[in-house]
Amino acid sequence: MKTLKITLATAVILLAGGLANRMTAQQLTGREIIEKVYNLPTGEDQTSDLTMTLINKSGSERVRKIKQFTRDFGNVEKSIMFFTAPADVKNTSFMNWSYDSDKPDDQWIYLPALKKVKRISSDSKSDYFMGSDFTYDDLGDRKVDDDTHKLLREETIDGVDYYVVESIPKDEDYMYSKTVTWIRKDNFIGLKKEFYDEDGELLKILKIKKFEEISGFLVITHSEMENVQKNHRTKMELDNIKINTGISASKFTERMMMRGI
Amino acid sequence: MKNLKIKILLLAALLAASQLAVAQPKVGIDGFVRNYTGMLYENGDFNMLQNTLNLNFNLMGDKMALKANPMLYLYGIDSLDFRMREIYLDLYFKSVDIRVGKQQIVWGKADGVFITDIVSPLNLTEFLLPDFDEIRIGVYAAKIDYYFGNSTLEAIWKPIYAGNELPPPGSIWYKPPEFPAPPTFDYSKEKIKPSLDNSEFYLKYSLSSSAIDFDIMGAYTWDQTPSMYIEKQIEFDSLGNPILTGLLITPEHHRLWVGGGSFTSTVKSFVIRGEAAYYNGKYFQTADPKAEGALVEKDYIHYVVGLDYGVGDLTLSAQFIQKVIFNYDDYLDEEHYANTMTFLARYEAMRQTLHLELFSYIGLNYGDALIRPTVVYDFSDSFSIKLGANIFVGDERGMFGRYDDNSMIYMKFKYNF
Repeated sequence: MKTLKITLATAVILLAGGLANRMTAQQLTGREIIEKVYNLPTGEDQTSDLTMTLINKSGSERVRKIKQFTRDFGNVEKSIMFFTAPADVKNTSFMNWSYDSDKPDDQWIYLPALKKVKRISSDSKSDYFMGSDFTYDDLGDRKVDDDTHKLLREETIDGVDYYVVESIPKDEDYMYSKTVTWIRKDNFIGLKKEFYDEDGELLKILKIKKFEEISGFLVITHSEMENVQKNHRTKMELDNIKINTGISASKFTERMMMRGI
Repeated sequence: MKNLKIKILLLAALLAASQLAVAQPKVGIDGFVRNYTGMLYENGDFNMLQNTLNLNFNLMGDKMALKANPMLYLYGIDSLDFRMREIYLDLYFKSVDIRVGKQQIVWGKADGVFITDIVSPLNLTEFLLPDFDEIRIGVYAAKIDYYFGNSTLEAIWKPIYAGNELPPPGSIWYKPPEFPAPPTFDYSKEKIKPSLDNSEFYLKYSLSSSAIDFDIMGAYTWDQTPSMYIEKQIEFDSLGNPILTGLLITPEHHRLWVGGGSFTSTVKSFVIRGEAAYYNGKYFQTADPKAEGALVEKDYIHYVVGLDYGVGDLTLSAQFIQKVIFNYDDYLDEEHYANTMTFLARYEAMRQTLHLELFSYIGLNYGDALIRPTVVYDFSDSFSIKLGANIFVGDERGMFGRYDDNSMIYMKFKYNF
């Protein structure tokens, strides 16, 4: 199985919310808008059940289910995921330690067939996660300073006001030439994001289908990424979301990876 | 009989403890069914017609867990082989986990080689071809893990000896040794009685940190493959000249002291791995006429260094493995330096439903190799088909080249549930 990396930060890919961020600020720059998205308060720890449905162009579906735990330890965010379906990856677990600094993530995977925890490399942020249409970067790992942001325009759709921000990677070899994000003015929730390939052609569209307020935090619970060039898509749904329950630090260890849930 | 009693006691303890300790446990059953057909491409013989049922029963609570893993192999039409691969009880405390029962224990950082990974012996009846979880044999053991900080101290007591399972005569993987005279075997010393004196003990300290993962291990164990004590039977002809008329061969296990360790770390897209162990007390076969029983005791070191590289859907891995015998002399049956390499290339395609892999062992001493290309296609989340080949090439003196008649192609259908 491929290397895996996702955290519950998935839920806030495009989400910036909370009363503190609600401001009318027409003078904001593209970077300031994206910063507000990035700095969204997400709680100290989070637990959820993730269901990913991969749909190919003929409409057939594959389902992956994951139980995940995340906790912010200040300068490091630790997450651990337990795969519950499909059957051939059941009991596989994955742990990621992500640092605020430029230090690369530390990652380990436990494969029950091998009965051992293996350290893996985390350098490929452009890899697709479990065969889905989401890359690891799409799932929330990309830093604000990785791109140059520009406010393109403001739009009103169905009575809701949006900022439309273009983000161009500073790394010219990056897999996307640019992204364009529609961010709600009232709560800084991004409801749509377009990804353009290296030739400048539209590659993927991310749409937020549903978000909820849980324990005072706005959380995206249903999103969908569509690859318009290959005509396949991935639905991502979060259930049983719990925030700030006080997950023990001992949860994020090899011991727990091997024990499972 | 004593062996059987210990097994019964262990099982009884498992069942009793499971009744006492379970509070709102989660029960799970999963496993797979697999059909495996292999054909030798030299003569078209089907060397493998196997159906397998693997079941995992799990009972998991906050303070305990119970696992049983029965496995049924049906060879041909009616040759059934039942194995209880694992059955154990876990007890969880704040900083300590205890596991008792039959269990597979895996140590070390290397892939496909067994250097510090010596707790569970190997089922080599089909050489190194089965999946690695099926190669390992479960052992009756009590294992205690003590956790402190990012460190773990693990202690294992193995009261019942289990050795490597070797191909039986008649198997295509059995290569009978060549003797200068007819051999007679005496198996009276091969069995090791379960007792405290004959128990095996293992200890490991491991650290998992951001910069590096490493472990240090020590073991007081048995050699998992017996040494052959050879006694020459000599008669004299009418002129008084000695004639070798037979050999009395007594397989016997010896005690080993083993110390070693392993590490793994990452540098950008690379994962660096290393593992080494020093073996004290190993008996080697020798042609030295002065050696008693054609055996001589020598120490040796076995180590591996490896590098993994991943980019996109491609994974590449290479390992160099060396075994060095100390105080070597030319009478020894083995090479002074045994050098092996492994290579792995894996590519995921079609949204990770098509898996292409090429794995190979290469014996550098004799230029022989085992090359294993495979293609796996996932028809659905549960059902996959695997096409593969095991290609043995090179000098017949090498451990891979000697099986050049056994090169095969195969197909596996697997349903996971």
